[in-house]
Amino acid sequence: MEKITIPIGPQHPLLKEPLSLLIDIMGENVLGGDLRLGYVHRGIEKLAQTRNYVQNVPLIERVCGICSHVHTTTYCYAVEKLLGIEIPARAQYIRALMCELERIHSHLLWLGILCKHIGLDTIFMHTWHNREMVLDIMEELSGGRVSHAANKIGGVRFDLDQDHGPMVVSILNKLRVEIDKLRDVVMYEPTIRARTQGVAPLSPEEIRQFGVVGPVARASGVDVDFRRDDPLPPYDQLKFSVVTNQAGDAWARTLVRVEEIEESMKICGQILQDLPDGSVEIRASRRVPAGQVVVRAEAPRGELIYFLRSDGSDSPARLKIRTPSLTALSILPKQLSEIQVADIPVVIAGVDLCIACADR
Amino acid sequence: MIFQLLFYLIVFPGLIFQFLSAWVFEWFDRKMIARFQRRVGPRWFQPLADWIKLLSKENILPKGSNEGVLTLLPIISLCSVVTAGIYVPVAGFNYFSFEGDLIVILFLLSVPTLAYYLAGIASIGIYSVLGGSRSILQFFSYEVPLLLALSGPAILAGSWSIQNITSSQIVKGPFIIFQPLGFILAVVGLIGKLNRDPLDIPKAKSEVIAGSLTEFTGIKLAFWHLVMNIQAVVGIFLLINLYLSWSISITPLLSILIFVIESLLMIVILSVISAIFSRIRIDQLADIGWRILVPLALLQLFVVILM
Repeated sequence: MEKITIPIGPQHPLLKEPLSLLIDIMGENVLGGDLRLGYVHRGIEKLAQTRNYVQNVPLIERVCGICSHVHTTTYCYAVEKLLGIEIPARAQYIRALMCELERIHSHLLWLGILCKHIGLDTIFMHTWHNREMVLDIMEELSGGRVSHAANKIGGVRFDLDQDHGPMVVSILNKLRVEIDKLRDVVMYEPTIRARTQGVAPLSPEEIRQFGVVGPVARASGVDVDFRRDDPLPPYDQLKFSVVTNQAGDAWARTLVRVEEIEESMKICGQILQDLPDGSVEIRASRRVPAGQVVVRAEAPRGELIYFLRSDGSDSPARLKIRTPSLTALSILPKQLSEIQVADIPVVIAGVDLCIACADR
Repeated sequence: MIFQLLFYLIVFPGLIFQFLSAWVFEWFDRKMIARFQRRVGPRWFQPLADWIKLLSKENILPKGSNEGVLTLLPIISLCSVVTAGIYVPVAGFNYFSFEGDLIVILFLLSVPTLAYYLAGIASIGIYSVLGGSRSILQFFSYEVPLLLALSGPAILAGSWSIQNITSSQIVKGPFIIFQPLGFILAVVGLIGKLNRDPLDIPKAKSEVIAGSLTEFTGIKLAFWHLVMNIQAVVGIFLLINLYLSWSISITPLLSILIFVIESLLMIVILSVISAIFSRIRIDQLADIGWRILVPLALLQLFVVILM
């Protein structure tokens, strides 16, 4: 049997975004993989330096199509930190609410893609159907299904009226019933377990060595969550638990994400219950004093870092975005060995890649 | 006489009937799966429309592949499945019965799998070769339990002719009652033969694009699709004849009705199975095939021989 190299990408049914993997296989066994990135590099960091802080908010929203809100949230907190202002508590809560809704829809999307890759189209269709409920909430609140344009420097662009809270709660209650069913499927369906259990396990040492964050790290027993470890404003007021699993394989990643959906729904309920009164925005100066700041947030895929340096003008001197997908990509070639060809989709789906985030 | 023979070959139970039933099969199957997945599903003419559209598409082949072989393979497969279909009785109508036709049908139904493997090798692409080698691996896993299971009814009836097996069931009762295990094994084998979910390993989209058929386009691909659908129909008819012939079929109209209902039920079974399971790995299939299915088939055979 001879060694052959199969190309996965830049165009492949497995990939939703362009990425190139050259995988060496022998028969059905995978020997190793090589990764090429940069197909969706759009130069956002450089572009951000040529535009002013206000114009950058819609630009930053376009970094990612799935976790667009957490990007603008982190950016706005960074700018507000440089400005030395604190936005009203109500705005902070609305930002957190959108972040949690986004986490729910991102994880549901991910679960659907995993099931699609292992040939379980039924669960794919059902999860994406359920995801529409979350998108409906977001559209009702902000006007956008995926790009919400919710944030502005100094607050948020919309306010919740008295009907919105009960509406969100009732839809989330409906969603909870569906998630419980999905969770049972993931827990007890024999073919899902056969395909994901024991596939590409990562030890906590490997996770620390590669700096992997988010659900992938938590599935390997590394207890890291920046909503708790370095919280942005409303999260220090909220009570939630961090879901971890010790197994470290693809099945553990699935379970962690499904349980995080339920945790996020609890957080949404808390936010709506504790939502303070008041305004949702304050005036912010267009010129930002010189200085530099690092802000970290927990995106659906893990730790998101924004580094922002200002030289006192109205546009940033340097904006550096470090997305969680980059760490997931770094460990991907390591995972692509000692598996079978049929496990490649599970491994690639398991780390939940967002190539647009990683390339920027 | 010659016109009658031509009618049998071309209209019923030959080519045209099988074309039509293949499209009915595909439509019903797609519709059922769509309903399980909260989708609306296609309208009744959609499979035919897809097929005609595919016929009109450009014919592209990879450089260095042998066009003659790639053209011949779908034609050979189509011939063999249609021939197999002629020998399978439909609702009691059978014109070409002879002793041993079951073995001939099983042989003819294996031809598309081998052609599929050759198509993968001959069309050179990496994914095609991978898909082709997977299809032959899968063939070794499902074919043995399938053949063992299908020999159960023949042994019980004491004949290798489907006609005799069917008429023997009218006396003894349908064989599914005596061999439920054999029926289940035969359905599993049929799923493997048809490369359907959860055994669509040779054409797993996220792993090997479309397997052997990755490089096929246009009219050749259209004929491959037709082969797969006719194979499914012939397989379903075969299982109904071997396991589900009811003695209440006195009038022809009633027996046609029962046959249609049973065929639709078989499609429902296949759709449910493909909707609720995810694809398994090839090593897991080999494991299941040789460690579980073959012993069970032997057990069933043993029980049948003792009966």
